[in-house]
Order: sequence, then C-alpha cells, then structure tokens
Amino acid sequence: MFPTPLQKQSPGARGLYRGVVSISLLVWLLPLFAIALTSTRSLDDLSRGNYWGWPTDLRIAENYTAVFTSSPMGRYLLNSVVITLPAVAGTLAVSTMAGFALAQYRFRGNIALFATFIAGNFVPFQVLMIPVRNLFVHVIPLYDTVWALVLFHIAFQTGFCTLFMRNFIRELPDALVEAARIEGVGELRIFWHVVLPLVRPALAALAVLEFTFIWNDYFWALVLVQSDTARPVTAGLQALAGQWLASWQLMSAGALIAAAPSIVIFFAMQRHFIAGLTLGAVKE
Amino acid sequence: MAEVSLRGVRKSFGPVDVIKGIDLDVAHGEFCVFVGPSGCGKSTLLRLIAGLEDITEGTLDIGGANMTRVPPANRGIAMVFQSYALYPHMTVRDNISFGLRMVDTPKPVITARVAEAARLLQLETYLDRKPSQLSGGQRQRVAIGRAIVREPEVFLFDEPLSNLDAALRSQTRVELLNLHQTLGATMIYVTHDQVEAMTMADKIVVLQAGQIEQVGSPLELYERPRNLFVAGFIGSPRMNTIPGRIATVIDGAARLELPGGAITHVQLNGTRLAPGPVLLGVRPEHIMVDDPGTSGEGLAGTVTLAEHLGAETILHIEMAHGPVLVARADGRAPQRIGQPVTLTLDPRFCHLFDPAGPALMNAPG
Amino acid sequence: MSATVGRIAVAGPVPATWWRRHQMALAPAILLAPACLLFALFVIWPIADSLWVSLHDWDGIKPMRFVGFGNYTELFTDDVFYTSLVNNVLWLVAFMLAPVFGLALALLLNQTLFGMRLVKSLFFFPFVISQVVVGLVFGWFLNADFGLLNVLLGFIGLPPVDILGDERWATFGVMAAGLWPQTAYCMILYLTGLTAINPELVEAARLDGARGWRLLRHVILPQLRPATFIAIVVCVVGALRSFDLVSIMTKGGPYDSSSVLAFYMYQQTFASFRYGYGAAIATVLFLIMDVYIAFFLVSLLRRERR
Repeated sequence: MFPTPLQKQSPGARGLYRGVVSISLLVWLLPLFAIALTSTRSLDDLSRGNYWGWPTDLRIAENYTAVFTSSPMGRYLLNSVVITLPAVAGTLAVSTMAGFALAQYRFRGNIALFATFIAGNFVPFQVLMIPVRNLFVHVIPLYDTVWALVLFHIAFQTGFCTLFMRNFIRELPDALVEAARIEGVGELRIFWHVVLPLVRPALAALAVLEFTFIWNDYFWALVLVQSDTARPVTAGLQALAGQWLASWQLMSAGALIAAAPSIVIFFAMQRHFIAGLTLGAVKE
Repeated sequence: MAEVSLRGVRKSFGPVDVIKGIDLDVAHGEFCVFVGPSGCGKSTLLRLIAGLEDITEGTLDIGGANMTRVPPANRGIAMVFQSYALYPHMTVRDNISFGLRMVDTPKPVITARVAEAARLLQLETYLDRKPSQLSGGQRQRVAIGRAIVREPEVFLFDEPLSNLDAALRSQTRVELLNLHQTLGATMIYVTHDQVEAMTMADKIVVLQAGQIEQVGSPLELYERPRNLFVAGFIGSPRMNTIPGRIATVIDGAARLELPGGAITHVQLNGTRLAPGPVLLGVRPEHIMVDDPGTSGEGLAGTVTLAEHLGAETILHIEMAHGPVLVARADGRAPQRIGQPVTLTLDPRFCHLFDPAGPALMNAPG
Repeated sequence: MSATVGRIAVAGPVPATWWRRHQMALAPAILLAPACLLFALFVIWPIADSLWVSLHDWDGIKPMRFVGFGNYTELFTDDVFYTSLVNNVLWLVAFMLAPVFGLALALLLNQTLFGMRLVKSLFFFPFVISQVVVGLVFGWFLNADFGLLNVLLGFIGLPPVDILGDERWATFGVMAAGLWPQTAYCMILYLTGLTAINPELVEAARLDGARGWRLLRHVILPQLRPATFIAIVVCVVGALRSFDLVSIMTKGGPYDSSSVLAFYMYQQTFASFRYGYGAAIATVLFLIMDVYIAFFLVSLLRRERR
C-alpha cells in the first residue's frame, strides 16, 4: 500500500495525521457548513449583519417550512422525482439491451456503433440545444412538460450507459452465454435469464450514478421547460434566487433541500456509486 | 450412430487462418482427444464442431447428417466448458435443468433426467446449493451433469480438468472414463496436457499451427511418431534427439557418426536410407547408463543432474561432444552429479528423423 | 440412453422456425433498436441540424435566411466571442489542476484507519451536489459585502475583495468553484486506482530501496495511468461544458468578462434571438471537443484491440 500505512506508526503520528485530515476536511467543506449554518438563522440575524457568527436564535423548523410555504419548492421537488425516476429506468433498460448486443454479437459496424455512442456522450450540450428544443416545440409536442426532459435524458445518457454496460457484459465469461446457446436457449431468453441477473451490480451502480446526473441537471431544465408545473428543483432554485434576493436563510435552506436527495442516495449506495464512477480507472 | 467427420475444414478470423484444412473421422462411441501446445487451434476446432464459431470452409457431419450450418442446439452435442460456465444465480438443480426448461421440455422429463444425472454424478445432496457453495470438483460435475441431461450423441470437453488440483485431476480422469463407458457416447476432449491425452484417449489428434500432425492411438503416437514434433510432444521426459550423420549403409544397418566421433549402429529393417545428416531419436528409457569402460560401443558423458522420483531416477547427462541427454534409470541408480558415465543406446528403439522434421524410420521395437 | 433417443430429445423441442434460424441476426437488431433510434433522434440528427442552422440568419420564428459562413466570419470580429474562447482555454488549463489536487488528496487519504471511509465520502461530497447549489454556495462565499472569504481576509488584516464583481478576476472565481467538485471526482478516481495497485509490487519496490517521491514517480504513478487518463478526459469535458456555474454565479459578467462559449451561445440564442449565430458558436465548441473525442476514442479502441 502507498503511502505507508499509518497503523505501523507511533500513536503520535496517527494523532497528527488525524489532526491534519480533520482540518483539511473542515476547510474543504467550509462553504457547505456556512450555508448549513445560515439556513438556521433568523432574518433579524442577517439584517443585523450577523452572517458568520453563531445564530442568535435557531430557526430550523421555521426556515425549512417557509421554503415550502412561500415558494413552489414542493412542486419542484415532485417534478424532479417525476423526471428522474422514469429517466433512470428508461436509460437503464435501453442501454442494457444495447450494451448486451454490442458485447455479445459480432456484426459489421459493431465497433463503429460503439464508438458513436461513446463520442455522442462527449458532445457539448449546446450543439444539441436549438434542434432538440425545436423538436419538442414543433414535432413532438412535449415542450414545457416533464416528458420532454425524461425523453431527452434517456436518449443522451444512453451513450454513457451503453459504454458502461457493454464493457461490463464484455467482462462476463463468454462461456455463460455460449453454454446457453448450445442448449438451444433463444437469444432473447439468454438476455433475460442469463445476462440480466448477472449485470445486477452494474445496474445498481448506474442507477445511483444516473440518479445524481439527471437530478442535478440544470441546462436542459432551462432549455426544455419554462413553467413551474414542469420545472425541476435545479432550475427552480435558480428562479427562486431572484425572488428571495436578501432572504439568505431561505436560499440556503432551499439549496440544501435541493441537494438532499442526491446526498441521501450517495450515502445510502456509496459503494455502487463509486464503482460506477471509477469504471475504467483501474483496468488497463 | 454419432460419428463425427470433418472434411477440409478451415477457419479464418479476418486475414488470420487459425484452422488450415482438417480431415478427421471420430467413430461412434470413441473417446477422441485433441492435444497440442497453446495456440495450436485445438479449442477453435472444438468450437467449430460445437457450432460456436462458423466454419469458413469445408464440411462437418455428425451422425451422417451435414451439420456445417446447423445452429449449435440442433447438432445433438453438449459441451463442458473449461470455466464450467455455471450460472452463479441459479441452484445446481436449476443450472442442470436450465437448457431443458428453456426449450419447454415436459416437467416430468426434466425431473427424471435431473435425478438420473445427479445419481450418476453423486450430486443428489447438492441440488439446492448455489455454485459458489461447491468445491471445484463438484462444480465440474455439475457442468457435466448439465451436458448429460441433454442426452447428446456427442460430448465436447474444453480442457475440463485444468482448473482442478493435481490429485483431483487424476481422480476425475477416471470418473470421466467410467462415464464414457456408461453412456457409450462419442466424446471429444481438448487438452494441452499430453499425460491426459495418453491416459484417456482411444484416439489422439496432435495439432500444431492449425494442422493435424498425427492421428492415432496413444501407443501408436508414442512408438511411431511421424515427425519430430509429435516425437517431442508425446512422452515425458521428452525424446532425446542427437544430431549425426549416416556414414555408410551395409547389410540393412546404418553406421551412424555422432558428435565427437562416437559411432553407433542402427538396424534399418528394410528402410532404404542414403548417407547424409540425420537426427537420432531415442526415448529416455532406452538409454542404458553404465560406469565408463564397461561396454564397447558407448558414448562418454558426465551426470549433471539426478532427479530421484523414487520409482525411477531421471539422469541428465552432458555428452562429451554434443547435447545433454536425459535417461530414465532405476529408482536406486547409484550415479552422482559430476560422475563420468558411458551411455548405450538400445539399437532396437532408435528412431531416425530428417533434420527438417519427418521421421525417416521408426524404431522396430 | 440410446443415441437415437438422445438425438430426438435434443433436436425435438427446438423447431427450426423462422425466428430460430435468424435470431443471431435479429436479436442484436431488436436490442439495439431503441438505443439507436433515441440516439439518432436526439443526438446525431441535432448535430447535423445545428450545423445547418449555423449557416443561416434566424430568430427562431421567421423563416431562416441562408447566409453561408456569414455567422462564422462575424465571430472573427466579436470581442465577446474571443473573451469566451480565451476563458474556455483558461478553464481547460485550470482544470488540469484538478487531477493534481485530486492525487494529492488521494495520497493524503489513502489510509485504513478507523473512520477514514466516512472522511473519504465527505471529501467526495461536492461532486454529488448539483452545480446550481455549488454555484450558490460559492457565489455567497465570495460575496463582496458579507462573503466568508472577506471575513477571513479581515481576520488577517487584508482589505476586502470583490472577485466576482471585478472584470479581471470574475472568471477565476467561477473556475475555483468548478475545481471544487472536479477535484473531488479526481480524488475518488485516484483512491480507487491506489487501492487497485498490487501490494506485492509496492513491497518489491520498497525492498529495492525505493521510497517516497521516487517510489511515487517510478512505481505508483505508472500504475495509476488508467486513472490519470480518465481524470484528464473528464476534466477536459468538464471545462468545455462549463455552463451551470457561469450562469448561476456571474451570468457571464461583469461586462461579459467571465463568459464561456457554452454560456455565450445560450445568451445569443435565447436572449438576443440569434439562433444561427448561437449555432455557429456551438459548432466551434463542438469542433474543439472533437479533438478530444477523437483522442479518447483512439486510445479506447486501441485498448479494445489488445
């Protein structure tokens, strides 16, 4: 292991190490501590200029309730859920099928198709912005609905997820599929009964990762949606920033509420999240 | 009847020819082993028979029917993979019955066949376990069980023992042979281990670089290798080869000059050979090791290594002029490292090879 | 178990239907269809359409008017475009710091003492939260009037600064916010890379007398190459995609000094209703990105061929 494990060092060295790490962590997360603290303040505190001292009176419940009562935050959160869950499910379904096909069948254009999915995954959003928006305004009448976002996220995230699933399925022993093939099992049944159960860890990793990607999307929420009935929490927060100008305690609480679901998902499924994110970081 | 015959079978991956024209007949009920060094194409050949790869050129018949373009499931074959290919999410029972269930075999048939296979392979008590709860040997038996329930005419084995430890391997070898006896099916077995080939096969097919070097029974290959490759590949320790030249041929016997001017005589038993360079091949058990000066026509050498295996001793002897020879001696051979010795080659067991490879003459034995 | 019975048993239940005979070709086609359809409709076709739009003068409503490369020639004389382009280059350079910082953090945290797992996840935290939140948090941290940064500067006796309000510094303020989650991402890549290094290799190097910097330089870093590769790729993509933070923290200001191509394009399209011009800016961004896409694809496919 590198660097040298500290278990072998003296207790003093370990203590020093813990001290250094704690201070680094404190500095690293300072901005977050600051808004967490602010979200508990009263407006009086802020108007008196007490931005960084200890709050004079804690207003946790009041502030967080106010976020929901004085703004469509509840609606935004609901929209985010309604967008994110189907989009994640759709992406996984579409890309698992495609990844299996690319990993298991030899056909002309396989590599070219695979390369297209990878390349598409890196395309700057902006180059898609005008045509995709026009598509939803003029051709598929879904502009300003959550379904426009669902559909687009499925399509765009398919690039990354297909790359991920294809490589994962590629690592499975070919013999598992071949054994079934020799036994006369149909190809679609092989996909359903043999491959799907084996890719469950990959599905878990991708689900967590995609949840945070899609939940945190801001750009497409600006482009494809404009009314509160469809706006997800990221774009909603930005809209509220204008409305809440000096109400920093509400702004902070709102930001934490918006971030909470992806934080919860991350901590609940950390192992899967990191497995998904670091794909390729190890394998040569 | 399930004989397997290949005619002019070729396989290329893009520009690379992997199998370069194979003609082969495996009789019904025969245990046939494909053996060769890694990369010789033996696994590819098996996969062509299984239908996992498409045959580029040539034909494959199984049981008299042309199977060249038939999907794997309809060839009447079953295959046991090197990795066993067990589904980790299914129990042993589900693994064994998976193929039958997926092609809608009637339930009673499935139950009966699984029970029969489990009995045959002593897996009855493990049917409800997952593969991860089994030992290597048990997993291997499950893989065989999965093949048996399909009641195939031809079993294909792709290095099935290579993931087992040495003791289990020799035990499983015996079990497989018993199974072959019981089922009476044709079996084609791929291995890189010539010991496995020698102990199990009715017929051995030695492959190298996508071509057949020789086909025959184990003893045929051992005693009558058709070329240097087979001579070197079959048998352990491998056959010694000594460069030399035929000086004269008199009365059906060749006078052979060996490195350092030593002379030996080899009976040609009717083979007509002209004077010229040859390789003399002799197996380790056909070299007699004596103290210097005890025999007239001997080769002088020094012992450089002695491997005491108990039942026998493998002596490595550096010749005064020439290669290191390996001789198989008695378990209590007195020779020590550094000791000078005289070697006598048994003239009845000498092979002669063209230096380019083909055998000129096999030992009369 | 006679051979003939076996034959029927195996071949019987697998009738050679039309589907059976063609499934090796049909199955991949069916499985790929949804992905290909969606990708073609929402990614491939839009790229082509965007290039087409960039050759037109268009406000998004009235009919398009073909102007050839008119939009592109206009870019040459557009100061804001230059500023945005330069800023994108600055982002690229700055983001190359993320792998360096990330590696440093990973080396600091690669210990197995009690509680380190939690510490690692807390360090990773900034990557999990939305860029909108990161932007708000940093915007506030850097606020000229009451931002924590100025409070801290005050402690050590320095005058307050207005980073986001200053043309010279605004873009660096936004970049700092961008580096925060990006460094976290690189850290996790390197942490995974470090755990995956064969311990015997490190032991062997130690026995050979390699220590500290030399061990890192000659043994550890080469082993971390796959992680470095991914880290650089995601940082490049991140730098060129930067939009959210600019939009949240400065709206490209003051006086367009912190604009980037992605943001300028958005503004030209939806604020100035110049769709054709916006598409032309997007195309430039796309071309820059193409270089990296090609680089990534080549190395990935080379690995694929073994």
